[in-house]
Amino acid sequence: MGASDLFAALAINPAVILSIGAALIALVPNAQAQLRRPLMLAVVAISAFQLTRLGLGTWGDLVIFGEPVTMLRIDPLARMFAVVFHIAAALLIIYGWHVRDRAQDFATLAYPAAALGGVTSGDLVTLFVWWEVAAITSVFLIWAPGTRSTFLSGMRYLMIQVFSGTLLLAGVVLTYRETGSLAFNEIGLTDETGAIKASGLAMFVAFGVKAAFPLLHNWVQDAYPKSTLTGTIVLSIFTTKLAVASLARGFAAEPALIYIGAVMTIFPIFFALIENDLRKVLCYSINNQVGFMVCAIGFGTINGAAGYAFGNIIFEGLLMMALGAAVFRTGTSMATELGGLYRTMPLTMGLCIVGALSISAFPGTLGFVAKGLIIDAAAESHNLWIWLVLLFASAGVLEHAGIKIPFFTFFAHDSGKRPQEAPTHMLIAMGLAAFLCIFFGVQPQYLYALMPEPEALADYHSYTPYHVIEQLQLLVWATIAFGVLKVMKWYPAEIPSTNLDTDWFYRIPGRGLLFWAVDATKAVWSIAWEGMRVRFNDAMARIYAVHGPEGQLARAWPIGFMALSVAATLALALVFALAV
Amino acid sequence: MTDHDHHTEDPGWADRPAFQKWFFRGLIAFGVVAALAGFVPDWQKKHPHFAIEQIPVFFAVWGFAAFMFIVLAGQHLRKLVGRAPDYYEERE
Repeated sequence: MGASDLFAALAINPAVILSIGAALIALVPNAQAQLRRPLMLAVVAISAFQLTRLGLGTWGDLVIFGEPVTMLRIDPLARMFAVVFHIAAALLIIYGWHVRDRAQDFATLAYPAAALGGVTSGDLVTLFVWWEVAAITSVFLIWAPGTRSTFLSGMRYLMIQVFSGTLLLAGVVLTYRETGSLAFNEIGLTDETGAIKASGLAMFVAFGVKAAFPLLHNWVQDAYPKSTLTGTIVLSIFTTKLAVASLARGFAAEPALIYIGAVMTIFPIFFALIENDLRKVLCYSINNQVGFMVCAIGFGTINGAAGYAFGNIIFEGLLMMALGAAVFRTGTSMATELGGLYRTMPLTMGLCIVGALSISAFPGTLGFVAKGLIIDAAAESHNLWIWLVLLFASAGVLEHAGIKIPFFTFFAHDSGKRPQEAPTHMLIAMGLAAFLCIFFGVQPQYLYALMPEPEALADYHSYTPYHVIEQLQLLVWATIAFGVLKVMKWYPAEIPSTNLDTDWFYRIPGRGLLFWAVDATKAVWSIAWEGMRVRFNDAMARIYAVHGPEGQLARAWPIGFMALSVAATLALALVFALAV
Repeated sequence: MTDHDHHTEDPGWADRPAFQKWFFRGLIAFGVVAALAGFVPDWQKKHPHFAIEQIPVFFAVWGFAAFMFIVLAGQHLRKLVGRAPDYYEERE
């Protein structure tokens, strides 16, 4: 492979175009910081143009160290994620038009670039490289506020992401040993005898960490809300969806994913209910939403997983942006400090409600046409309990994302705050996202045309009477339940609090254990050092006693003793010479 | 306008009891229509996957019950995991 081949392979790649753009934009001096966002938008447009120009296929087939790699593969699965990543990147750049921060501007392009590189990688080594780049570029967004708390959180985030990368590398090596290939296709958790493969397990956990599987999930709530206002939204989109795309490619129809996904859809609902920080509520919502995607992969409906990821990026992004606009104007994301903003932020409120309706999957929205595929797949698998769990979780989505976010931000008790409407650029970004929520909701054929397996959708119709009636019954009666709970005053009041989650284990006892280990090591070292020091001093004292100025060996020896020693040495030499 | 003089201003449209009353009534009416629509034979699923789907108001009942359960049971989680807001700040 020549350098020119490598250069050509890199130059054609949209992810590389975005990465180079990010690096160049970071060079724009602070005095011209206002130029960065327009330039960033231009870079995304160039990358999107390149993606469209390339169409479907593979590029960058090179041989590196004797092994064939495919640096760029755009198949329908990769294309669906690539398209929505471009949409999201463009919306986020517009939304953050006011930002004048070099590190954030860099990360807002470089991090989506890494996620794009990951979903379009055709081999495991390329995937690993982008996987790590995504971890490293995104941490700048967590560190952006520059406080001790965000620094610590960023370090924890980095540790967990690098742990995932290390597992992925182990999985790549084991896969290569098993198959002799670095191609990134179906991996599978078990071999033909049904035994769990070490290679598959390593990859599965690596993807699971990034997808925030249950018990591995808490880095999302720990790190994301600590970023800046725009940084949180950027973070919320890419990492978990890169993991979903990787799971869909490597572990399609893996039954374990059905149960993992089902758990993921349920437990965040309860944490979101009691959470006062609405940005954290949306982070729990990410866990819950990725749960639906993971479940879909388990059922083997890659259309459902990719379609829901596509939709979620837009409607969850819209909710994040609407809440972000309220935070931008009021300086708080606490439910106890918000409320009543509908009076002065009516447009943001309206756009937030479009996002809320869409994430709740009301008919006529993007959420409805995407989620229907997953619920139907659960029904077709005849798995009653999982089907019931997904319906239960749908009511839970309505509770924390559909009602809690708009209600506590814009209605509920009047906080007395009368902020200005969101800035125009934020309204434009939210307006575009809301338009997409409704456009794809009423014209689902455009969404379905992008899906990885269009043939599986030949007989699928979102807007059958029973689909619409079932969904309306579920959502409207769940909303009535909310009304009843409010009227009866049974709905719990928001309370400022920190709610412990799995991060407690490594932040409190884990940290304690670490400090104990450090202290114990110090203590053992000082005991060992003291012991050595005493013995060394004793030895030196003895040597001094013998060799020192007063010692035995410092005495003057008589000549006769010298002659005797020479005679003895010669006699010994003679004995040796005769013996040999 | 300061943060404190809103108490003397007119309540916003969403805070007016009349709006709240009619909104809630409209919601219930919508819910009743959706539930009744479940009884129309032409609109029912031709090949249900589960027997439970044949109950015309199953989704309404499940949605209502699920929401109630989530809120009424879920709030007790706070007793187990709720701590002071500066819990971690004090310890890190």
